[in-house]
Amino acid sequence: MDDQYLNVIMGIIMNAGNAKGLAHEALEAAKQNDFEKANQLMTESNQSLAEAHNVQSEMLTKEAQGEHTEMNLYMVHAQDHLMTAITYQDLVKELITLYKKNAQ
Amino acid sequence: MSTKNIMLCCVAGMSTSLLVNKMKKAATELEKDVVIFATSVSGFDQELASREVDCVMLGPQVSYMEKDFKEKLKDKNIPLSVINMQDYGMMNGEKVLLQAYELMGGE
Repeated sequence: MDDQYLNVIMGIIMNAGNAKGLAHEALEAAKQNDFEKANQLMTESNQSLAEAHNVQSEMLTKEAQGEHTEMNLYMVHAQDHLMTAITYQDLVKELITLYKKNAQ
Repeated sequence: MSTKNIMLCCVAGMSTSLLVNKMKKAATELEKDVVIFATSVSGFDQELASREVDCVMLGPQVSYMEKDFKEKLKDKNIPLSVINMQDYGMMNGEKVLLQAYELMGGE
């Protein structure tokens, strides 16, 4: 595995992981009824996810153009991180809405 | 100087395993007497109970678990730190190793 490939994998893992972490913090803030903080953390979480997604999209574009990306377990693992982060973020959005309703 | 045991922990213990290899290489170069291993979040308790651990380094993608883990380590007096995001992303074994040593109080 060369360094460039490792950087792509780590780029996805780091940003996806960060997005999930920030979403989790947002959920904690919402639990304390601090919705302003929750919103801000979710915005940051979105930014992180967008970055992870950009790396992913770039690979997909290349693949579509016939430039095949090497696949190994680490790449699968990175995709796993990304998918988990997306799902988690979606779920947290819903939960924050619920907390908000509950607080009203 | 006794052997130091450094435990790395992330979601599946997979990306930290990559880092372990880089850290081991750095440890050989720096002539550090150290045992480095990676575990998953779910394997954390078992590893902690079954082997010697001098410090825990968390992958930045699980930094939100820092509080829970610190609570678990409190009684055992084992220091914990989240790995610097830049160093983790770049898989900089030497820097993370030095961060671990700093955490354990130098040497």
